Amino acid sequence: MNRLLSGLRDGKGFDIVLVTVPLLFLFALSGLPLIYNVVMSFQEVDMFSLGTFARPWVGFNNYIAVFSQPETWPIMRNTLVFVVVSIAGQFAIGFGLALFFTLKFPGASYIRGLFLASWVMPGLVVGAIWNWILAGDFGVLNYILKSLGIISENIFWRSDTAWSLWGVVIANIWNGVAFNMILLAVGLAGIPRDLYEAAALDGATAWQRFWTITLPMMRSTIGAVISLGLIFTLQQFDLFAAITSGGPANSSNVAQYWAWEQSFRQYDFAKGSTISVVMIAVVLVASIIYVRSTRHEVRG
Amino acid sequence: MTEKWTNRILLLVALALAALYLFPLYWMYVTSLKTGSEIFATPPGMVPTNPQWGVFAYVWELRGMGRFLWNSAIIASGTMALTAILGTGCAYVLARYRNIWIDVALFLVLMLQVLPASLMITPLFVGFSQFGLLNHPQLAVILAVTAKVMPFFVVLVRATFMSVPGELEEAALVDGNSRIGAFWFIVLPLARNGILVSAILIFMQAFGEFVYSKSIIQAVELQPASVGLNAFMGPNTTEWNNIMAYATIYVTPILAIFVILQRRIVSGLTSGALK
Repeated sequence: MNRLLSGLRDGKGFDIVLVTVPLLFLFALSGLPLIYNVVMSFQEVDMFSLGTFARPWVGFNNYIAVFSQPETWPIMRNTLVFVVVSIAGQFAIGFGLALFFTLKFPGASYIRGLFLASWVMPGLVVGAIWNWILAGDFGVLNYILKSLGIISENIFWRSDTAWSLWGVVIANIWNGVAFNMILLAVGLAGIPRDLYEAAALDGATAWQRFWTITLPMMRSTIGAVISLGLIFTLQQFDLFAAITSGGPANSSNVAQYWAWEQSFRQYDFAKGSTISVVMIAVVLVASIIYVRSTRHEVRG
Repeated sequence: MTEKWTNRILLLVALALAALYLFPLYWMYVTSLKTGSEIFATPPGMVPTNPQWGVFAYVWELRGMGRFLWNSAIIASGTMALTAILGTGCAYVLARYRNIWIDVALFLVLMLQVLPASLMITPLFVGFSQFGLLNHPQLAVILAVTAKVMPFFVVLVRATFMSVPGELEEAALVDGNSRIGAFWFIVLPLARNGILVSAILIFMQAFGEFVYSKSIIQAVELQPASVGLNAFMGPNTTEWNNIMAYATIYVTPILAIFVILQRRIVSGLTSGALK
């Protein structure tokens, strides 16, 4: 007993306690639910069998049911569009801003930091603001687009099935640009200056320097930022809840919102967990790519 | 062109980009101050002609915002405390050792960071209901949010601990401190700033949390401000000045903390997030 106590105070026991308690906590509240999710996707779960573990097993019926629904493939397509366009937009704008802010001028780092305001705001507040900006008749976005001559008729971003997904995409790009920019700026700061000076002496144009120095040197950062973008985009829920609620007629619904809707609007928990299992598999593959691409970073 | 002028032009461009980017925030503040008819004017006015300062007190009363914000504060403080207590020690051990087990633990922690809340809520909700935790909905939300944000905290704080030289700790041990003593009196004070900033980031995240609260907390008097804002925005709402006033009251304290701590938040984020 004494040895155990002194081990706790002085030896490896101290470290083991410090690391096991949080890992057990995480296992109980993330690991077990993950497993439970898979179990439920093979069961019949409704309001009546919610309180018991002994539920009827249905094999792959939930999966078959989910993938034979008519709305499944449109929603999966929406998810793909949402993810690809959001990441592309956040990355392109974020990279442009990061490159601009590498120009050293007084105040650059402070102003760059202000952009992160979008990242610390509650998702519901971001959603509420964009809900109002995107409003059809009186929204300021339609007004700006019309004054610039880009559109001639108001776009009903939230109620037109052709546009509803794009409204959320715009809000999500705005939300994620700052985070992309900051991470890319870290990568840019890590490129040795003398590489550029040497290339400039050899007569390389700015364009050539970008393609032959910046991009190759940024490869692992770009990999990490894009996989992080994928992870965060698949976590986006608040904007859907605040702007379109997945509607009208599922035209702006994506898998992560749909899964929640099945569980908490239809009370079909089995279907909700089935969709969750499929999407979590996607997220885990993306994060393995992320962890692999950050492994080459210098650990400091 | 002299360097001074180049700098000035670059600064102007930077300010213009920031203004363009932060326009939605400006629009929230402006809309909240407009009158009910002014918000529907065409063309929309960029400045309110007759600022309605009374709107904040009105919305505060109308929606019972004091209770909503109090609930948000309870959930955020609980999450922050639990995360800091559990996560700090974990981050310390993960920073001190390099071996295969540490790599495995770190990998698992990174993996848990990526699970979307809206997908995890289904098994969590069913599990919580079976263990009777739904009778304590705020506690249930704190537990769920802590599990969600702790990996992020561990990654950030681990980076801080890595910058504390191991020699200092060894010196303290030689001087007769126990491991606990060295950790508590030497390492923790040196890592204080990093831990504090990360904890504040966790507080801000938990303050805006929505999915878990929306799904788990049914009783209106226990719901946080994010759920309250969601309920305020009906599908055919027209009171945008009031909704924006609600959003303003909700987000301004967070933005104030952010502006004060901006430099630290950015540097903490950049040191931890990519490693």
